[in-house]
Formats: sequence, C-alpha cells, structure tokens
Amino acid sequence: MKKRITALCLVSAMAVTMLAGCGGDTAKQGSSEAEGTGEEIVINYPTFQCGVNTAAPVVDQLISEFNEQYAGKYRIEKEEVPGDQNYIDKIKVQLGTGDLPPVVYGGGYNLLDLALAKDVVVDLTDAVNSDPEWKELYTDAAMTTNSRDGKIYASSSEGNLVGYFYNKELFAKAGLSGPATTWDEFWDQCDKLKAAGITPLALDTADSAWVTSLWMGALVAAEGDDAVAFLKQMTPDDYNNPAMIKAAGEVQKMLQEYTTKDAIGGKYEHAANNFLSEQAAMIANGPWMMSDFSDETKAAPGFADKVGVAIYPGSFVYDAPIQGYFVTKQDDPALEEAAIEMVKFFTSEHAQQVALEVQGMVPASSKVEITEKAKEAYPLLAEFLDLAATAKVRTDNLQATMYPNLLDVVSQELPRLASGEITPEQYCQILTENAQKN
Amino acid sequence: MNRTWGQLTNRGRLLMILKYIFLALCVIVALFPIVWVVMSSFKTNAEILTDGISLPTSFKFTGYEQAIAISPILKYFVNSVIISSVATVANVLFLAMAAYVFARCQFRGKNILFWLLSLSMVVPMTALLNPVYLVINNLGLTDTKTGLILVYTALNLPMSLLILRSTFLSIPRSLEEAAYVDGAGFVRTFFQIMLPCAKGGLASAAVLAFLNNWNEFTFALILTSGQDARTLPLSLSYFTSQFSFNYTAMFAAITIAVIPSIVIFALFQEQVVSSLTAGAVKE
Repeated sequence: MKKRITALCLVSAMAVTMLAGCGGDTAKQGSSEAEGTGEEIVINYPTFQCGVNTAAPVVDQLISEFNEQYAGKYRIEKEEVPGDQNYIDKIKVQLGTGDLPPVVYGGGYNLLDLALAKDVVVDLTDAVNSDPEWKELYTDAAMTTNSRDGKIYASSSEGNLVGYFYNKELFAKAGLSGPATTWDEFWDQCDKLKAAGITPLALDTADSAWVTSLWMGALVAAEGDDAVAFLKQMTPDDYNNPAMIKAAGEVQKMLQEYTTKDAIGGKYEHAANNFLSEQAAMIANGPWMMSDFSDETKAAPGFADKVGVAIYPGSFVYDAPIQGYFVTKQDDPALEEAAIEMVKFFTSEHAQQVALEVQGMVPASSKVEITEKAKEAYPLLAEFLDLAATAKVRTDNLQATMYPNLLDVVSQELPRLASGEITPEQYCQILTENAQKN
Repeated sequence: MNRTWGQLTNRGRLLMILKYIFLALCVIVALFPIVWVVMSSFKTNAEILTDGISLPTSFKFTGYEQAIAISPILKYFVNSVIISSVATVANVLFLAMAAYVFARCQFRGKNILFWLLSLSMVVPMTALLNPVYLVINNLGLTDTKTGLILVYTALNLPMSLLILRSTFLSIPRSLEEAAYVDGAGFVRTFFQIMLPCAKGGLASAAVLAFLNNWNEFTFALILTSGQDARTLPLSLSYFTSQFSFNYTAMFAAITIAVIPSIVIFALFQEQVVSSLTAGAVKE
C-alpha cells in the first residue's frame, strides 16, 4: 500500500513538473499590456509582414530604429503572424475576446471598421492635429481613408498606386509598340496578342482575385463620373449599376478569351507566375511586384529588362493610401500613448522613405521625396511615378472599399461568371445581396 | 494454399494480374502526394507553378536552406515534438483511465456521460476558438507550451475515449478476475494487467492523437505569440503571403514537417488498424 502511494505521488510530481517545465516565459503573457520593467513600456506588435512578405525588412528596420530612439521608454516586441489571412483571423478572434494588441495594421483588409464597430479604436484626431508635421503627411485621400465621421482613427504609410505591367518583348512579337491609351485599343491589342499565339492577360479568381479585380475596377472607372464616385464610396451595398454590370461583362470576356486556363481557380501566385514565366503578356499589380522581376527563383535572368509599366486605358490609375495603423483602447493610458508614438513613427516621412527605398513601396504622402537611391534601386518605379502623375482619373480599388465578406464572394462567383453559369447582372446582384448582409 | 504461377489456370492468372494492378494503383495513390511534395522541394517556383507534376530539372537543396533561413522551422520542430509528445502521453494516460471505468464500472448516468463526451467530437473547431482563447488567457497560459498541451490533450478526448473503451471491452473479464483473486487491487489491476493487454488500443489512440497534435494549426496560431511555444504547421505560413511566395522553400518545409508523421504511422500502422476494429467482437 505504502509503495503504491509513493508511486502515485512520484507520478503526480513528474506530471506537474513536466507541464511546468513546458511553460514559457510568464512575463511575456501580458505583452499587449504595459509591463513594469522600470519605466519601459513594451508594445506587443503582431504583424504578417514577416517571412517572404516583401515588407518584412522594412518592418524590421523600423522596429529596430524605434527601439533605439525610445530606448528605456518604449520597446516594440514583434510578434510574427505569418500569412495575411492568419493575421486577419487572429485579429478577429482577439476582437471577439476584447484582447486586441495596442497597434493594429489595417492593411488592405479594412480591419478599422470591424474594430470601430466594437468601439475599441482610439481617436487620433487630437494627436494628429496637435502635431503639424504629422498632419502635413495626411493627403486628402489619406484623411478620407483613415477617418470616420470627421474623426481620424488611423494613419497610412503606404500609397496604393497601381497600374499594370506588360512584357515589351511579347508586345513586339505581336507588332505592338506600347500600352493602350483607350479601352478600344486595349481590346484590339488583346486580339493581336492572341492572334500571335500569346496569352494577353495573367488573371486569377481565387483568394479574392486581386489581379482580376484590378482590371474590373479600371473598367468601372472608364464609365464616367458616376462610376468613379461609386469606386470612391466606402463599403457600398449596391453593385447593381450600369458601370459595374458592364465591367463584369468585360471581365467575363477576359476570363473566357484572353487568359490562361489556370486563371479559373488560380491564385495570385499563378497569375504572377504566368507573367514572370512569359506565358502572359500583361498583369495588373502594384510596384511591390517589381522586385520579383529580377528574382531568379521566379523569373529567367534578364526578365526585368523586358518589363514595361503603364497606367490603365482612359488615363486611369489606382491612387489611394492603404488603410494604415490604428491604436486600440487599452486599460493603461501609458500604453495607449506609447502605441500612438509607434504609429506616428511608423507613418513618419522617414518611415515612408525607408519603405520606398527598401521595398519600392509608394509613399502615402506626396510630401515624401522620391530619392535617387530609390530611383536607382527601382528604375521602373520612377518611370511609373512619372506616368501616374499624368493620370486624369484616380480612385481606390474595388477591394479596398468593399465589405470584407465580399472578398470570399468574389472568389466564389468569378469562376461561375467565367463559365457563363451566371450573367454579369447576376454577378452584381450576388455582390449586392452579400453587401447588404452587413 | 498459394499456388505458383505455373499451377494457375488462365483465368487465375488474369485475376492475379488484375489483383496486382489494383494493388499497384493503391500504392501509387497513397504515395503520390508524398513523392510529389518531396519532388517539388527540388523544383523552382516557376517549375512548380507551370507544371505541377513534372520532374525537377536538378536536385539542389536550396529549398531546404531557404526554408531554414526564412522561418524558424527547426525551433518550431522541437516545440512540436515536445508539445505533441507530452499532450499525447497525457491524453492516452488520462483517457485510458476514463475508458477503463466506462468499460467496466456501472454507475448512474454512465451512458449519458459517455455520449456527452463522445459528442464533443462534432463541435466545430471555430466554435471553440473564442472560449478556449478566453480560458487559456485567464489561466495565464497564452504563449506557453503548457497551454497548447492542455488544449491538445482535451481536443483528442472523444477519439481516444472511443478507441480505448472499445479496447478495454474486448479484453476478457476473466483476466481481471484472476488478478483480483491473486490479491491485486483496482489500480494495480489497471496498470499491471489491463494496460499491457490494451497495448494495441493505446498505440492506436496515441498515434491518432499525435498526428492531430502534430498537424494542428488554428489553436497554435491563436494561443501563441512568441517563438517559444509555436509549432511546425505555423512555419509553413512563412512562405506565402498575399503578394509574395516561395513554393520551393515551402515544399522543403512540408517535407521536413511530414516526415515524423509518416515514420510514426509506418511504425505503428498495424496497431492502429487492429485496435480500430477491436471491441467489434466481445467475450
């Protein structure tokens, strides 16, 4: 009996120590709260900008500089949440449990409105207005993107200047001298490329169909002022307008006649690979793709020299800041102050310059100088910025303004639109019905 | 008795050929995904995306080097081994005790309690996210291996309970009666007589629990923030983001991630299969 009790005690002790030994650093558990290590406040910052994300080196540099500048006062602890969707999922769970980190990057995922609906976002209006240098960086478009009901809730560091890239060599093979300036000319170019045995467009339908959605938005923008006003509207709940229906019809034509077979069900990666491996002549995408052109694990050597950049027919370019960083309400006011400092630092002129030079990211503010270093590192970017400056029509992209639940709907319905299972009218009606569920 | 090729009739030979063709197809179907992943880890991004089933043009280990450089895969690997192993041992130990009681003891509400525990298998993972996050957070166990171990131990409860109860039911009662006659108590009978007899069921429950723990992603993502408690499946997300990808490194990382699962299943597959059918025939 005694032996048995001793054995049981030993087993219990072993189990307890085994579990205790597996425990992490308990001091890290409250990392989203201010920690009392002297006067230093630790800001836990989850980010998906890690791993292969092109912004990862930028974030690392900014964190390192911030920690150096505010040494002893504030410190950022980076939490890597690899994968954009994983980040969104985690933020949504934390939103549900009221345990959001002090700083959230809204990115292109419209997380700001989800957080505002829960009333957990700190109003930055006073902080921005009291700092002329910070306020100066807000362009009108940035103010619109980051404000709700006249109050500033977020701050942007990145611009969303998006045109399209084309393969000059494939264009020359089809007898084309350069990008189209009108949509009629564009369709004519598609026919000529097709006749020359070249697939004109790299498209996708999965994972919210980013590339295809860019073409759709550009087609909508070509339909006049009302259509542009529609594109500028945040979270529209009615897609049944003539411009959208016409654009959906033209995208249907693109998917049926002018793209690769793997576009249906294909993700961004497939579209990018089709362009990078010269299987398609054009791809709509932002300047962040430029570094891929000279990446020999993705493209053949010398491919970068074959790529040209253009704004869309009808003198249109996507030009809107990407929704920026916002601060969430915390129990400790000192942590909120630290978070505001971090947001200010991450969206400063210097931070935007770093992103431009390291990543080739277009700054959110027009005040940021395009340095020679940036032009040298990304010559195509300099060319694109000059072209973009001539664009007469500018607006945000469709995905940035739509309700988040529509992103999945787009992925589900585009293949059906491509196969002819639904008409452009039905496609717009489905978007409307799902938008109205919000 | 097996007959040689020469002794078979034409019909017998035809049937044998068809049998081997069928078996070969089964082997190809089972092996194809594994071979495909391993082959892809030697291909470039363009080769993977352009022609998924083509052979690699060269066998370089660049993907493996990149996998280790881009993500903390080795650290996560060690974490996965610790978390999956401890959670598996805890799960099998505690559930064996529970299953033995359910199999042998009579008490009021036994069946209701058993089915209640078994029904937790059908609760969707997403429905568990918020409550589990809150509980683990309130316990101060977020971002710890202990937190994940507790969650994984519980997540595998229904499956292990079903398997182990069936296993104990399949063991003849006369063995226990003999132990009691020889003077063994309840605990000794359980640990020294019943557990060794339930070896197959224990192995089966352990393998399934280990595989679930090894592959689990969602809770590992939600309940951890640092590198000390994160597990291998998370490392696979380092290789794709919305506008960037490195499939070569990702397939190399998948190869590293799946090898232990394959080895464990290969070693214990007989126990798994036999114990899943145990209890079908009772004494």
